[in-house]
Order: sequence, then C-alpha cells, then structure tokens
Amino acid sequence: MKKREVRVITCIICPMGCKAKVTIKNGKISKIGDIECPRGEEYVIRELETPMRDFFTTVRIKGASTPVLPVRSTQPIPKDKIMDCALELANIAVDAPVKVGEVIVKNLLGLGVDIIATRDMDRWKQVEH
Amino acid sequence: MAKRNVDIAVMGGGAAGLAAATKAKEKGIENIVILERNEQLGGILPQCIHTGFGLRYFKENLTGPEYISRFVKKTQDLQIEYKLDTMVLEITPEKDITAVNSIDGLLILQAKAIILAMGCRERTRGMLGIAGTRPAGILTAGTAQRLMDVEGYMPGAKVVILGSGDIGLIMARRFAMEGAKVEAVVEILPYPSGLDRNVVQCLEDFNIPLLLQHTVTSIHGSDRIEAVTVAKADANGKPVQDTERIIKCDTLILSVGLIPENELSQTANIALDSATGGPIVNEYMETSVQGIFACGNVAHVYDLVDHVTQAGELAGINAARYVLNQLPPLPKKITLKAGNNVRYIVPQIIGGKEPLTLYLRVKKPMRNVKVTIGNLIIPQRVVKPPEMVVISLTRQTLEKLEKRDELKVNIEEKAEL
Repeated sequence: MKKREVRVITCIICPMGCKAKVTIKNGKISKIGDIECPRGEEYVIRELETPMRDFFTTVRIKGASTPVLPVRSTQPIPKDKIMDCALELANIAVDAPVKVGEVIVKNLLGLGVDIIATRDMDRWKQVEH
Repeated sequence: MAKRNVDIAVMGGGAAGLAAATKAKEKGIENIVILERNEQLGGILPQCIHTGFGLRYFKENLTGPEYISRFVKKTQDLQIEYKLDTMVLEITPEKDITAVNSIDGLLILQAKAIILAMGCRERTRGMLGIAGTRPAGILTAGTAQRLMDVEGYMPGAKVVILGSGDIGLIMARRFAMEGAKVEAVVEILPYPSGLDRNVVQCLEDFNIPLLLQHTVTSIHGSDRIEAVTVAKADANGKPVQDTERIIKCDTLILSVGLIPENELSQTANIALDSATGGPIVNEYMETSVQGIFACGNVAHVYDLVDHVTQAGELAGINAARYVLNQLPPLPKKITLKAGNNVRYIVPQIIGGKEPLTLYLRVKKPMRNVKVTIGNLIIPQRVVKPPEMVVISLTRQTLEKLEKRDELKVNIEEKAEL
C-alpha cells in the first residue's frame, strides 16, 4: 500500500512566509507546491530531511554577580536534540570569571558542536555596607 | 550647585545610545557623557540570549549579549564617559539636564546637544483591563526573560501567554526548554504579532498551540494565579459569548506591545507623534527642539536591533555635526503623512535631497503592493504589521520626488492584470 501524506511547512527565509504544501509518498518528497522561489524550496527540503536550529540557553555560574551565564552552540544542532541538550546543560555549573567565546562544553553529546559563553562574567567583588 | 558643560549628553546606554555615542566620538566630539539608569550598559540586549541579532549589521548571527558587548567594548575603547545607576529626572528645551545617582548626588549638566535613547517599556495588565482577581504570577514577557535568563529564577511551571509579540514567542520557547508546560499563546488578532520565524521556531517546534482571534477575559486565583478564562474574539476584538473555556495555569505572561518611553521628551516640550508614541523627527533624527535628537525604540518600536544601531549612528553623526556647526538646514521641509494602510512613517520630515531610509509600519497584511510617496511608486512583494517596511531612497530617486510641503504615503494592492 502506498503511503501518502501532505505536510504544510512555513518558509522562514524571507518575510513572505510562504506556506509550502509538501506531498510525501512512501517517505519521499513527491511534490512541493505553494512556494514561490528556489531558496524557499531548498529550505523546505532541508526542513523535511534534517531540520537544524540555533541552540542557546543558560548554565549555572558560581562567583559572579548573577547566577546564570548565557551560552550558545557554535553551530546549529538537529531540532530533535534541543531538549536533550537543554537537559544536559541543566547539570553544568562553571566558575567566574568567564570570557565571551570561552568554551564551556566541548562536543556536546557527541554532536560535533561546542557550547560557548556569550558574555563576559567577572568575579563578583562584594561591596561592604 | 555648579553646572557641568558637555558637548553631547546621551540619555540611555542601550543599543541606540551606544551607537550614537560611539559615532559622535568618531566624528571628533570629545566631551560626551552617557547617562544610564541600569547598573550596566547594554539596555535590553544582555537578557536577549537567543540568536538572530547582527545578521544585517555584522553579517553574523549573534546572541543579544554578544551583539551589545561589541558596542560596550567600543564605548570603553573610545574612552567615552558613562554614568551607571543614574536616573535622569528632567531635561529642558535649553538642554539643561537634571539627574541623580549615589556617587554624584544631584547632577546638573548643560549640553550643546542631547541624544534621546531611552528605549521603550512593555504594556502591563493595568493597560489591558482584564477582569478578575489580582494574584501573583502575572508578568510581562520581558520581566520573565530577566528573571529566567539573567537572575536564574523559574517564574512558573504551567504557563499561558497573552499576545504573540516576539518577546512572548521567544519566552514560550524558553519556558518549554526549561521544562515548563506552555498551555497556549493567545492572540486577539487573526494573525500573529511576532515574526514568522519566531512562530515556527518558538511555537511549532515545541507543539505550543497558537490561539488566534482569542483573548483572556478573566483571571482566577487568590494568592497565586490558578487559571484564566479564554474566549474567542470577534473582528472588533470583543469576546464572543458562550465560547469561554478555562485554562489552568500558574503563570500568565503578557506580550501585548511596547511603548516608547518619552517622559523626558515631554519635560523638554518635544512634539510627539501619536502614531509612533515617540518624538517627531526629521531625516537627521532631530526632534522639534533644535539640537535634541532621538533614536531607537524611543522614536518608534523597531523589530530588529540592527536598524536601531543604524538609527543611533545617524543621530550620533548629526548631533556631532550640530555641535561642530556643520549641520545644514534641510533644503525643504517635507512632512510625510501616513495614508492608506500606513500606521506610521519615520522620519516624519524629510529634506527631499540627501539619500535616506524610511521606516513604515503597516496596519494590515497585504501582498503585491505599491508604496506611493507623493509621485514616487515603490513596489513591495508583501507587507505585514510585525515586519517593518524599510525603503531606502537614493539621491537619484529623490530628484524625481515632487517637493511639496506635505506628501501622503499610501500602500495599495496592485490591480491584478
């Protein structure tokens, strides 16, 4: 029996926001409709095969003026790994000071991307009152 | 109390203020001071930990903290003076500035030029008039963002978001990533208020329902919010009877619009535009008071920081030219008036000669349109309220523009062939 499925994917390449109608037969793309340009088609195909996303969150930091440090991945990660990566980083704590761009985790979950700090965090000098 | 003289005083050290101050310094102005209310420079960007910043300005995909740290560093490298934890109380049309902080106490400055870069603030529950009790757990999206991504607190576990502005969408994703359940994003309009890419990456990726043409009609709970009533909304935004349902939650996030913060502009008697909520500016970003300039979200609310930076740089350059007596009067004073499907247009006043960029906000989505500025016709494929329409006019194009005192800007769908 042939399996046929139609999926709607919103293209995010430009402000047009085309809603592409993709027909999938037996797990393969058979038709892409309602999209106006080749860049959009390319996006839709990649989005169906391996959707990738920028990844960013915070990790705990000790000895800084605030308790969290913002971080991001050096490259996009597969969309279906976002929650795994978020959970993994929930267990990480670093010590201040940290510099922007400093590697916090190397090769996160074997995905081939590093997690880097996105800001400087100085060691907190407590002011005496 | 002795007055201190400065060349340029910048009100606010966020994206717009830092861009303005650094450009003015590069133009040769030595005596600049930035007055910042917060305990650090950077404005809102240190708490915007997501990516998508700098794609236009740096041709790089940066997070908010990374984007702004480049301007903070430039400010420090150029040795521009800034005062943190400093609250400006008043500015006058004569450019006297009264401010306070815990180091200087009362501070009185006399500036040759002032750059307004105070940004905007979020609309709150009080401005919406939602019925019900007044429990804890109702926060604006920006407050939730600060709590989570700067201060490290988790504001709630079961969340409803009212309004589909970009910060609300971005916080929906952050809540989901941190393990909270986002029950729904509720939007009164038939289309999302935020950018498409945020609807896809923040809601669809995490299977968060977007309820268009719905609104929150009541809030329940005594100490902490326990639930909201959600109902369908008609074309006028009025709740439709018998469509109410209860959604249980412990947190309600509001992402219902931003308002330019212009209390200081008012103390200086600067003319405001009721459509933008910000000062009326000419193509120099100069307000109705000579020598006072405005840039960034204080002038009108942008969707991309890259454009805020550009506006800041423009204001900085022109404030420097003003101080150096190098700012010529506009060759003509042409007032642009918002017409069909245009909510507002900035700058509101142009000279009609030098190249410039116009920013327009539309009222409703349209496809295959022509933007007409007097006799000029500029085609656009699509216009939507969340995405600013940016139109750059060259000197060549402007030569063709009819130079009337007032020109209407209209957006109309092109007739089908």
